[in-house]
Amino acid sequence: MRWVLLGLAAAGALGAAVVLGPAAIPLAELGTSPIVRDLRLPRALLAFLVGGALATAGTGLQGLLRNPLADPFLLGLSGGAGLGVVLAIALGWGGPWGLPVAAFAGAMGAMVLVYRLGLVSGGALDPRTMLLAGVAVGAFAAAVTTAIVSLAEASQLRNAFLWLWGGLSGASWQTVAVLAVYAPVPLAVLAAAARPLDLLALGEEPARYLGADVERVKRRVYLAASLLTAAAVAVSGVIGFVGLLVPHLARLVWGHRHGALLPAAFVGGGTLLTLADTLARTVVAPRELPVGIVTALVGVPVFALLLRRWGAP
Amino acid sequence: MLVGLALLACGRGATGRPAALAVTDDAGRRVNLVAPAARVVSLAPSLTELLFALGAGPQVVGRTTWCRYPAAAAAVPDVGDGLSPNLEAVAARRPDLVLLYHSPLNETTAAQLERLGIATVLLRQDRHADVARHARLLGVLTGHPGAGDSIGRVLDSVVAAAAPPARVRVAIVVWDAPPTVIGAGSYLDELVTLAGGANVFHDLAAASATVSLETIVHRDPGVIAILPDADAVMPPAWARRPEWRAVRAVRAGRFLVLPAELFGRPSPRAPEAVLELRRLLARETTP
Repeated sequence: MRWVLLGLAAAGALGAAVVLGPAAIPLAELGTSPIVRDLRLPRALLAFLVGGALATAGTGLQGLLRNPLADPFLLGLSGGAGLGVVLAIALGWGGPWGLPVAAFAGAMGAMVLVYRLGLVSGGALDPRTMLLAGVAVGAFAAAVTTAIVSLAEASQLRNAFLWLWGGLSGASWQTVAVLAVYAPVPLAVLAAAARPLDLLALGEEPARYLGADVERVKRRVYLAASLLTAAAVAVSGVIGFVGLLVPHLARLVWGHRHGALLPAAFVGGGTLLTLADTLARTVVAPRELPVGIVTALVGVPVFALLLRRWGAP
Repeated sequence: MLVGLALLACGRGATGRPAALAVTDDAGRRVNLVAPAARVVSLAPSLTELLFALGAGPQVVGRTTWCRYPAAAAAVPDVGDGLSPNLEAVAARRPDLVLLYHSPLNETTAAQLERLGIATVLLRQDRHADVARHARLLGVLTGHPGAGDSIGRVLDSVVAAAAPPARVRVAIVVWDAPPTVIGAGSYLDELVTLAGGANVFHDLAAASATVSLETIVHRDPGVIAILPDADAVMPPAWARRPEWRAVRAVRAGRFLVLPAELFGRPSPRAPEAVLELRRLLARETTP
């Protein structure tokens, strides 16, 4: 029943995203309109993929770090991506794909740095060290970014922030294809780690006694979640809230088993972001709201409702 | 002009009794000078340009890093940024008048400078009509009231002259991701209208706004105007991105380049800008 409802919600969100938009397109012309074919449909699919990727990455990281505040951007990835974008603009790296590639590279740089710092206490990844390292790397990247922005031509670099918080306006069949080819690998790695993540919830010692290769699971979950997040940043900038709260929403309804939790988070995150983006495009049309604002405006009431119904996560 | 010279003579202050110059700035503050300002620091590029146009260039003793027009402005000492300026650097120029862009933050800056005994004016030069008003105001404060009046009259006449009927529908795109366009609140929208074009986003009251790409496709402008950076390539790199190819004018490569130096800010060269834009738009109607 829960799965049916979730499926219906996902289908409804995708349907609404295709039917609704600032340009009035009659239902009869939905199949032939280039606006629907080239803009709305890829944007709806990209929103679903990005939302799903962020929520799944958040679920994995919360399980790995055993911290309810973990979200895909907590470990310095947004800071790294921001630095990449600002550097790309400041150094004039052009090309139509300049900024997405720079954001991806920046996020990957932050990931490698945090990973290395997480390993300082011997060969084991220490979640507490990683959290601190993530926050530190993020703060450092933000400081360098701000320094560049305040010293260089202002108008151009302010646009870097617009891009970074820009949402899904860059959607096209190409970005959908890139994500559709790229995301399944880290998603599969996370899905394969479902059982060990369940064990990890008991603590590292008990998980080890129950047969989990804890170090390997931690490494894989961290890298897979970061790779998903870096790709999401590259195609849509930093979108908050989805990766933080959708895992909790899913946990309220599906419990703590990652086998059900991860797919539920993927579909739930995709649904929430698709819905939020449709609202962002339409409520103040022809203007557009930043989608991150809408995810919070839509997500928080849903969260409050589920919290009342199912109790604390 | 004679009055100006008389005031200037007064300002140099050898003999005369102090003549009071009083204006009201854009923050609604009364600004009184006993004599035309002889040492002016301008903390906004548009105001620096206006000072030089008034013939007050020799009185400018400080400018922002971004004041690059006219070329003579480069010879004026640079005091840094115009928004949250470096007060010490400004005061070190020993100005008797500081021009600031009118923003809430700069109201605090103005109060701080006033405490140092330096007169300030807060001016918000965002629209075409602001330039004419500021030309007259700064003409009085710098002792060039005649020049201020004549610049004001020329700028007023640009508006009074009947604009040709709008034939070209224009979208002014200032940023590609998220797509950001110029609305009715901007000086550029005024220029397009004066030049006989129609901004397809004239219904947006804001100066600029983020819009959906599908809205641009739907409104189907005949030409896309952009303000390129100095080293920008044409057409812009984003024109090759697949989502932008959905816009007909982008596919057809109908781009109009508005050099930021002439079009980027409200300036006394508006008549020149309008003529140039009219020429560019005429070229678009006869392909």
